[in-house]
Order: sequence, then C-alpha cells, then structure tokens
Amino acid sequence: MAFLEISSLSKFFGTLPILNDVDLSIERGEFVVFVGPSGCGKSTLLRIISGLEDTTSGTITIDGEMMNNVEPAKRGTAMVFQSYALYPHMTTFQNVSFGLRMAHSPKEFITERVRQVSSILQLDKLLDRRPAQLSGGQKQRVAIGRAIVREPRVFLFDEPLSNLDAELRVQMRAELMDLHRRLGTTMIYVTHDQVEAMTLADKMVVMNGGRIQQTGAPLALYDDPDNRFVAGFVGSPKMNFLPARLAAVEPDAVKLEAIGGSGTASLPAPGLTAAPGPVEIGVRPEHLHLLPDGLEATGLVLNGEVTLVEELGAESFVHMDLADGTHITIRAGRGAARPAGQIRVRPDLERALLFGPDGQRLRGGDGRKG
Amino acid sequence: MPSARPAFFRRPRPGRNMPMTLRRYLPHYLMIAPFMVLFAAFFLYPILSGLYYSFHDWNGVKTPEFVGLDNYQTILASRDFSRAMTNLLWYIAITVPLGILVALGLALLVDSFTGRWANFFRNAYFLPVVLPAFLAATIWRWIYAPNFGLLNMILGWFGVPSINFMNDTDTMLYALIVVDVWVSAGFNMVILLAGLKNIPGELYEAARLDGASKWQQIIHITIPMLGPVLFFVFTYGFISAMQVFDKPWLLTGSSFTSYGGRRNALLFPVMDMMGRGFGGVKFGEAAAYGFLLTIAIIAVTALMFTMRAWRERK
Amino acid sequence: MNRTSILVRRVTVWTVLKWTVALIVAAIAIFPIWWMINVVFALPGEPVSLNPRLWPSSLSAGIDKIHMILTETEYLRAYGISVAYALLTIAGVLLIGSLAAFEFSLFDFPGRRLLFGVVMLSLMVPTAVTIIPTYLLTSRLGWLNTMQGLVVPGLASAFGLFMLVQFMRAIPKDMIEAARLDGANHLQIYWHVALPLCRNALVTLAILTFMQTWGNYMWPLVISTRPEMYTVGQVVGLFNSPLSHHTVDTVMAANLLAAVPPLLFFLIFQRKIVEGIAMSGTKG
Repeated sequence: MAFLEISSLSKFFGTLPILNDVDLSIERGEFVVFVGPSGCGKSTLLRIISGLEDTTSGTITIDGEMMNNVEPAKRGTAMVFQSYALYPHMTTFQNVSFGLRMAHSPKEFITERVRQVSSILQLDKLLDRRPAQLSGGQKQRVAIGRAIVREPRVFLFDEPLSNLDAELRVQMRAELMDLHRRLGTTMIYVTHDQVEAMTLADKMVVMNGGRIQQTGAPLALYDDPDNRFVAGFVGSPKMNFLPARLAAVEPDAVKLEAIGGSGTASLPAPGLTAAPGPVEIGVRPEHLHLLPDGLEATGLVLNGEVTLVEELGAESFVHMDLADGTHITIRAGRGAARPAGQIRVRPDLERALLFGPDGQRLRGGDGRKG
Repeated sequence: MPSARPAFFRRPRPGRNMPMTLRRYLPHYLMIAPFMVLFAAFFLYPILSGLYYSFHDWNGVKTPEFVGLDNYQTILASRDFSRAMTNLLWYIAITVPLGILVALGLALLVDSFTGRWANFFRNAYFLPVVLPAFLAATIWRWIYAPNFGLLNMILGWFGVPSINFMNDTDTMLYALIVVDVWVSAGFNMVILLAGLKNIPGELYEAARLDGASKWQQIIHITIPMLGPVLFFVFTYGFISAMQVFDKPWLLTGSSFTSYGGRRNALLFPVMDMMGRGFGGVKFGEAAAYGFLLTIAIIAVTALMFTMRAWRERK
Repeated sequence: MNRTSILVRRVTVWTVLKWTVALIVAAIAIFPIWWMINVVFALPGEPVSLNPRLWPSSLSAGIDKIHMILTETEYLRAYGISVAYALLTIAGVLLIGSLAAFEFSLFDFPGRRLLFGVVMLSLMVPTAVTIIPTYLLTSRLGWLNTMQGLVVPGLASAFGLFMLVQFMRAIPKDMIEAARLDGANHLQIYWHVALPLCRNALVTLAILTFMQTWGNYMWPLVISTRPEMYTVGQVVGLFNSPLSHHTVDTVMAANLLAAVPPLLFFLIFQRKIVEGIAMSGTKG
C-alpha cells in the first residue's frame, strides 16, 4: 500500500457531486500537485485529506491507518493556506509556536524548535514582528514555518502563491522545491496554474468536474495525455485540435480525411483499433512548422490566414484560421511571419495524437501513439 | 444499536454515525450552554410562567386560583387602564416625532461642523444620554420646582407667576416630554449622524450643480437616503416610548403606594402594571397586563414593518 | 486677493446662524448638569436670588457636603453595591456572551439558526413584561436582596450577543481552520484566537453594559428591598424623596456623586461609545 491512499472517495453536496469516485496513491516523499480549473474539486480533496471536511463515502489511509474519523490535528498533516491565515495579534514567534503551545510542550523545546525552523526559512530576524509588518513573501514563510514546526508527515498547500506577484512567485517556487529537497516530506500542492504544476510536481494529478482525469509525471502527461481535457489543459500555449474524419484503419496506419476541412493524411499508428467516424487530431504548437513561400512540401499542408502574431523576443506565436474556421497556434522563431496574409503550415504527424468523439485518446497496440 | 465497545476499539465507519455526530457537535453545545441555560431560565421561563399566572389570581402567598380571562377583563375595564392608555397615546404622538425631529436637526447641525468642533458639539449633545435616569429626573425636578426652580425663576423675571410643572395636570405631560427629548435626542442623533456620514458626498455635489438649495437638498437627498436609519430610529423610539417608566416615576416621586402623579396625569401602562403587581400584590393581574402590553408592542412593530414593505413595493 | 477678504467671505449669515444655534443647544444640553455642579459647590442656605448658581461659589462647602455624605450615610455602601453589580454584570455578560457568540458566528451545528432566532426575537419583547415573572422566579430561588439576584438574571444579554456575533463574523474562517490544524481545541481557539480579535467589541460592550447597569432603576427597585442592598440609584431616590431631611444642595451632591462614574467613562471613552451605538443603529 502506498503512503497515502485514497479509495473510492466521493463527496456530495446534497445531490451535487463535488468529488466522484476518486482513487489516488501517493508515495512517501513525493511532491504531488493537484491541478485543474476552478470548481474541479482539487481544494475540496485537499481539505478532505486534512480533515477539515468530511467524505460522503470512500476512505483515506495514511501510513496504513484509516484517517476518516481522525481529527485534523491528529492526522499528522499541516496546511499552508492561500491567505496565510496568520494570527494578526501574535508575533512571528508566537504564530510559529502556536501549535506547540496549545499542546503544552515544554518551553525549551518550543524555543529550540522555532529556532530550527527559523533558520531553515530565514525568519530569525523577523521573530518579533507582527504579520502586519511583514511582506507577502515573509508572511508566506511564516505560514510555512508554522506548518513545519509540528513535523507533519504530509504538507498540504492550498494555492499558497496565488497572492504573490509574478516575480515573487517564481522565487518562492524555487524555495519550495528546495524545502522539499531538504525535508523530504510528502507534499500535496493545489494550484490552478498548470505552469506551476509542471515545475513543482513529481506527480501531477489533473482534475476536472470532480474526477481525476489523469495522474503521472508532468512530462508524461504532456507527451502522452489520456484524454482531450488533459491534452488541452497541460502545456501553454494549448495544444491545437484539428477536426477530421477517420476513413479507414490499416494494420500500420490510419487514413484521415477532412483535416482542417480538406486535408488527407496517413498517420502511423500500429495496432490501433477504432471505428471510422469523426475524430480530432491533437498537435502541439511546437510541432507545426511554417513553410516559407515557394517551398514545396511533402505530406499534409494546411492553408490559412494569419489573425495575430505574438512576438516574444526569442520566439513568436502565430495564430491562424484554417479554411474550415479552425483556429490554430504555431510556435515559430522570431519574426517568422507577417502579421497578416496567407501562410502554409506543415504538421509533424509523427507527434500528432488522435482523440475519439468521446474525448478519449485513441491508442495503438503498444499503448502509445494514435 | 451501535457497538457498545469503547470508542478506542470502535473501527470508524463512513456514513451512519449517530453517536459520532453528537460527539462532534458537543463542544458547540457546551459553549453556548451557559448563555442558553440562563436565557431559558430568566427569559423563556418567565414569559411562559407569566402567561400561566395571567390566568390565575395570585398574591404571592396563597395558591394560585384559576380565573380564566378575568384578569384581562378587569384590566380592560378599569379606569386606570384607560387613563394609562390615553396618556400613552398622547405621549407617544408627541414625543416620538418631536424627539426624532430634534435629533435630526442636531445631526444635521453637527454634521455641518468638522474636526474638533464637530466632536465637541456631538459630545455635548450626547451628554444627557450618559446620565443615569434617576439623575436626569432629579435635575429636572429641581428645574421644575415651584417658586424656586430654575424655570420659575426665569419666568419670574418676566413677571409670570410660578407654575407647578410637575403638579399641574395641564403641564405635567409636556414637562415630561421635554425631559424625555432632552435625554434621548442625543442618542438618536448619534445614530442619525452615522447614517448621514454614509450618504455619498457626490449626491450633494450633483444637486448643487443642478441648482438645488440647501433646503431642497435636505428634503430630496438627505431624508430619502436616511430612510432605513430613520425607520430604525422610529421603530426603536416607538417601542421604547411604549414602555416608559423611569422618568414619570421619578419625576413624580412615586412609590408603590402612591404613583402616577396628581390625578394619574402621568400614569402609564408599565407603571400601572408595576403598581398592580408590587403595590396591590395582584401578580396575576400584573402578568396579564404585561401580556396585553406585549401584544400591543408586537402589533405596532408588525405594523411598522408592513408599512415599510408596502412603501417599498410602491 | 488679500487674506482678510477671504476670511470675510467665509463668514456668511448661514455660518453665524449655525454657530448661534449650535452654542445655544449645547448650553441647553450642558447647563442642567453645570447647574447641578454649582448647587453642590455653593454655601448652603444662600437664597437663590443672591446666587442663581451660574458658577460654583464655594469649593470647600461642596467638599464638606460630599465628605458628609460619604461618611455619615449609607451612600458609600450603596456605591460599593452598584460598583460590584456593574463589574460582575460586565464580567458575566462578556464571558457568557462571547462564548455563545463564538459558536453562533463561526460554526454550524444543528439548531443553530433556531436558537439564535429565538434569542434575537427576545430583543423585541419589552423588558417590563418579563420583570414581574422574573422577580417571582428570583424570589423563589431565595435570591431577593442578594448580589446574585441582582446580577444573574441580566447575564443572558441578547443585545450583547447580537453585537459580538456581528464582530466575530468578520474573523476569517481559515484562521480558525489553521488553529484547528495546529491542534488547538475548541476552547483554546476561542481564547487565543477569537477573543483577541474582537477586543474592540468587547470593550465597547463593557462600556455600554456599565452605563446600562449603573443607571438601571427598575430591577434594583424590585430586588433590593432592604437598605443594605440598595444601589446608588435607590439611595439617591431616598435623598430625593420629600421625607429626607437633607437640604437641596446636599441632595444635589448625592446626585452628583452618582453621576461621576458614567460621566468619567464617557469623557474617556466617548468615541467608542458613540461608535458602538452608531453601529448597532446602522446595522439594526
């Protein structure tokens, strides 16, 4: 059994499902990120793990013990809140030591622990200050310190960096990763920002509509999504989806038609079984290549009109509309396209993914490709 | 029946956990217990027992004797009751509107000052509110005293003969109202002031640009915007006025044997009730009186709220 | 444009009128109290025509009177009773009210709405109505003429609960959750987190309770029938009655002494008091 095991967990609010039959295994020491759009249930799942909320059905087990009816403070979990939730009338020292004081720990023990934690988080000079006298980043560190000092088995983070400005967020992300490296504690982190998720996670859990869509390492989710949602959610800018028709399935490839309205192609897909019908082809922006005028190309070529070019200095993103109205984004070099006019694009079909009408990924016999 | 084993050995089951639920909410109930127990003992129980006694004849010593609606009938038929109600109606009709008008005037006045002076005037006008009732009564009894009281002294300068304000049945009610307004205007003023501060300044500026005079601004902006606050002050003032006791009691130097002033000119329902209870030792009657009063007050409050709802729907 | 003409321009008819009225009203508000002070600090027996009491004329005479009252009558004892009554009531109302307000404002439990609703309804029931049955109950408990008889019936203050609930509602929920996760039990969260955060409300409530208790006349009137338990209000009533053998100025001195604590409180805390009342009016 894994270190933290969630089984068949559901939470209903009346008849409204907030979490629906969730199964998840987390290993000891992993940095797991729950990510998904607003309302997908990630925060609820985190709060259920912490004990602040109950399940309607299902179990949570930590290190072999069932946690369903254990009080939050006794689960060995600690949480860092989005708003820090620091006690405004207490100093940093008092904030950090609060849990230990409530448990009536001996004074010397408390002082020693707080000292340790302060040095890890560089709070030494701030111990006498009140939250109102601290900056956002400092407050965040005090909140983390308050969580660390109780030596939990699992750290829970509820969108802790959302209140910080972009630059500070990048810095704090690095500090969190460093903290994880040093402490080695299991960490569960909730965010709606998939960039944050990709950089921090050992294991990423993508959620939508109260269900887990896919679990895995960030790059695995990036390269090999299970369904259209995950494919479209992970990666920025988003993956392009081209409507097409699956005409025929052959042992080694599938024949596609009506790509972008009119294109045809043969996609290498050994062992793929599916019925002919409407499908979607997923191609990442970096797998689309602009064809300079005049260059002859083999294979599938898409024609369209440029709608917008975003110049970012080292690269650019070219937005275009295909003949059938499909909007796609191409990652190109600097100054690769003019802001308006017709262009041609060649997709790299080796890296394209196929999605069925139900959104599920169509895979070949070896589990990959499609 | 849930397992009888101690909680330590009980394996937690998701779902139906009756004893768990009670245990979970227990801390909450414990924390509100002191308040709720005292509330039940000293509010709910008295109300219910009052209702019970109102249907009995009881003097506190002998066993209560059921008399049905007799107490209520006695009260409604008694002369004192009519007198008290008449006095009350007159009293409310003048004191409540007058008090609020004065308070509004004071609020507008104080609002027109800023900084130190605004604070000074606000505190000065609030000062009478801070005085305990018995104090205000004392001061005013001496102001109203015949011949040597302050008012009569001033009247004397103008050659007006001394008026015995607190003993002349023609003047007593008005004398009481003056004291009442003196004490309560400051209280209402503070509430109205807060309401005034909540009116955005831009409304006045826009009105000025549209050519409205100060008067017009007051009538068309201030008073409508003060609506909810005025309603609160009015309702609260009404409910307090219906329960008037302290001031008339003290101003007339009443005791349980002799109260209400000369020829009951300052007899009011609460006083009448207290008199029947502690003076005449008719607790059943007094309880019934209390209920009649409660019904009246609830009726008035309901009326006020319906009037407001009716007005808002227009 | 020189300075004098700007000044002249600022003083309009409106301003003059405004100031006149404001000052006259202030005089009407304050004068009776000022007059009372002057009566106390004047030589006894001076006819009013000679000394209309517009200013204090004899500091020592006033002090003599006060001294006499405090040493030769039961006044000091009544003062003590009133002070004890007020302080005990404040402590009780604050403690019991805040315990309950903590629950009603920050947590949910079965029956919460119902219980809170009933308590709020009680605000609408006039106090005079419950006084007689409450008196009967207190009497049956054997609490007539006792301090507990004075204090306990008034401890479940619906107004106090209402005020504290309004303030405690503003405490961020995740601070409570953080405390829960930190292992604080219910009582600890109440004491270490919630109470310190509503300190302002507690102070304001304490002051308002003091004012109300000190000036409370009706309840002590029925509960304290023996002179040993008289509150300040009742003793002053004795001074005021036509049966007392004291002169006007002495009576006034007794009254003045009773006015000192509320006046003092007001002068020190006027902003809090005014804000407290204003808030309950705009929210109510």
